[in-house]
Amino acid sequence: MSAVTDLLQQVVEGLGSGAVYASLALALVLIHRFTGIVNFAQGELAMLSTYVAWQLVASGMPFWLALPVTLAVSFAGGMLVERIVIRPVQGAPELTVVIVTVGLFIFVNALAGLIWSFTVKDFPQPFPDGGLDLAGVRVDWSTLGIIGVVAVVMGVLYLLFQHTSIGLVMRAVACNPASARLSGIWVGRVLMLGWGLAATVGAVSGVLVAPVLFLEPNMMGGVLIYAFAAATLGGFDSPVGAVVGGLFVGVAETLTGAYVGVIGADLKVGVPLVIILAVLLVRPQGLFGRAAVERA
Amino acid sequence: MSEPTTDRTEAEASAEPDFLKVSGLHAGYGQARVLQGLDFSVARGEVCAILGPNGAGKTTTLRALSGMVRGRGSVTLNGTELLGRSPEQAARLGVAHVPEGRGTFNDLTVEENLRIGAHLRTGPRWRGRPERAAVAADLERIYDYFPKLRQRSRQAAGSLSGGEQQMLAIGRALMLRPSLLLLDEPSLGLAPLVTRELFEIVRAVNEEERTTVVVVEQNAQLALDIAHRAHVLEAGRLVLSGPAQQIREDGQVAEVYLGVSVRSRKAG
Repeated sequence: MSAVTDLLQQVVEGLGSGAVYASLALALVLIHRFTGIVNFAQGELAMLSTYVAWQLVASGMPFWLALPVTLAVSFAGGMLVERIVIRPVQGAPELTVVIVTVGLFIFVNALAGLIWSFTVKDFPQPFPDGGLDLAGVRVDWSTLGIIGVVAVVMGVLYLLFQHTSIGLVMRAVACNPASARLSGIWVGRVLMLGWGLAATVGAVSGVLVAPVLFLEPNMMGGVLIYAFAAATLGGFDSPVGAVVGGLFVGVAETLTGAYVGVIGADLKVGVPLVIILAVLLVRPQGLFGRAAVERA
Repeated sequence: MSEPTTDRTEAEASAEPDFLKVSGLHAGYGQARVLQGLDFSVARGEVCAILGPNGAGKTTTLRALSGMVRGRGSVTLNGTELLGRSPEQAARLGVAHVPEGRGTFNDLTVEENLRIGAHLRTGPRWRGRPERAAVAADLERIYDYFPKLRQRSRQAAGSLSGGEQQMLAIGRALMLRPSLLLLDEPSLGLAPLVTRELFEIVRAVNEEERTTVVVVEQNAQLALDIAHRAHVLEAGRLVLSGPAQQIREDGQVAEVYLGVSVRSRKAG
């Protein structure tokens, strides 16, 4: 295998895991756009959704039927979380809200452990074995499948936000909730919708990554850190940035793991942290974000 | 009591003198009581100016009318109580509030801003859109009032100048087809020429659509030019009320309360 195909091989692997980070980062960005909240529990909610999918498959439902059911459950769950957990602290100081999402993180993690125990579960691989051979570079169906699913999710979100009236209303609320209210928009309902949507997008990342990482309550902890790096890199308010950031972080992770000897497979978890640090130092608004200018 | 005739015809406006009726309105923020019992009425189709120095409670008055702050007392619009309602509900009763600082949706295009204004009239697709054609016509009407907005219909609202953003905010409010339009400091931060243009458009809207307008302004002269009636607010109380022309001509009184000269231009 030549050096070039080897490099391309690593890039393909990186894009595969990057697509997973991208979808969780997308969920983080959605919530942040709508509420200004950084939801530390996003990964845990995705993990909970993945357990729902696992439970459905374990009780005999075919995967491709279990998936839409899971997404619907996640949507409802996300709306419920907004209404019950987040709404009461809406408008509270930022730190309060952060602590609430951290609390939600711990609660959901413990809940999953309570129901399904902390033993690792085998999650079914939805995509067939094997793959394509592109000039010596092997692209697994699973890698292709993951990228494809994330692309579909992005496409659906784009259509929703740019080409439907509810999407327009959602963008208006994200932009200026006070004026939205004065235009007669029920902002509370739109925020619920936003959380539902984010939970759904997050669920996609959980279901996609579960066959690789194996399902257990702490599965999404690492993924969340990569997603944070991706969202930070993209600029926390930009959906496009989240996706680009996710893919970049995925590729950076694989390449450093493969080529930088000292880092290797064990230390590559440090890669997202280095990215977060570097972005915050050099360009805090990220690649696609806008610098917040506030009048003193 | 015979009121002096003003340069704006009062006869047609006073058909429903208590279209908006504010009685004993108290409102504030937490411990701070800003409004200490306001009483005034606005007739249907009238432009009412609320003047006064900074901190007098002008903005709070508008906020109480649109449900942005809680108030005590009573505010009725066409007989329906407004107090105790959320801004979302107030909008459904036909109250369109253009807040201080414009309140445009900066990430949205000009046309999207206007469509959001008509949100209540169109509703979601699955409920059908009986007013769709009417909304499209209104969009054209707004563009006729504000030709600059038509030129910039595809531009992000955030890229507009201050004056254009204020026009957009007013245009968005009009898309609701409001029965009561509340304007908070429309002249804030705008060049005098732009402000004058804006007020002329507000006058035109009022005359053509018969929209009832309550405008809060620091620039007393401009506001009095387009208003039928005016109230001067000081420390949460009305200290002076009357037909706009009378207040405009009573330069000395106004000067005392407003701290600005509202010297009337000699007519004829």
